[in-house]
Amino acid sequence: MGSMGVPTEYYQLVAALLFTIGLIGVLVRRSALIIFMSIELMLNAVNLSFVAFSRQHGQMDGQIFVFFVMAVAAAEVAVGLAILVAIFRNRETASVDEVHLLKG
Amino acid sequence: MGEAILFTLFSLSAVAFALGMVFRRNAVHCALHLVGVLLSLSGMFVLLHAQFIAAIQILVYAGAIMVLFLFVVMLLNVKGETPLLTPGSAKGFGFFFAFIAFVELLWIVVSQGGTEGEPAPVPALPPNFGSPAEIGKILYTTWLFPFEVTSILLMIAVVGAVVLAKRKFA
Repeated sequence: MGSMGVPTEYYQLVAALLFTIGLIGVLVRRSALIIFMSIELMLNAVNLSFVAFSRQHGQMDGQIFVFFVMAVAAAEVAVGLAILVAIFRNRETASVDEVHLLKG
Repeated sequence: MGEAILFTLFSLSAVAFALGMVFRRNAVHCALHLVGVLLSLSGMFVLLHAQFIAAIQILVYAGAIMVLFLFVVMLLNVKGETPLLTPGSAKGFGFFFAFIAFVELLWIVVSQGGTEGEPAPVPALPPNFGSPAEIGKILYTTWLFPFEVTSILLMIAVVGAVVLAKRKFA
């Protein structure tokens, strides 16, 4: 214990890297499914950041936040995938480039 | 020492799996790579004294959410996207924007939010830090109201998912 552990900054660096990879996935991929997965990756990067800060400050509130983020992510995935299924049923595609009805 | 080795292992595998997830063509492969990321992160949570979070990471994420993903991938039977990435200038803009965001994040981490100085040492933690009993204590006292709101949110999500995925809307 004490100051022997890996510093919090290193965990933050990994979290930043994972968040950026998720951001790349959201911005450059075309399949809505992969974009959803990338959003999950970004949420997980933030979770890692929360848990690392939780240890740094010796308080468990950060871990409680991760708990709530997971609950919200589960709700988001359920609704998001249902929307995706509905879009695929109507348009026969899961590519975000081909779903542009609102664009006119 | 052991923590440093495990941290290196988990972080390398997490980043490698994440890159695989973003750049693989087959959606099932992408989902399985995401499972790899989630398991690596679960290992890191154990290193950070968050045993309960590590357990529900595997149960909820790698178990429930990824099964849902795989189910939808196989239900939709999406063909591999013929150009993998968004064509044209949007792709270049995406990589550029992500790079800018990464530099910003890196700057925040390195400068520690503007407070210069040595990295703060990791504090000594009580032995039951992050155990289910301790999490439960503050979850059902300090965070009781958000916890109840979460249960309402989950119920709304279930109802919404059923309504959206039904064949006929009327």
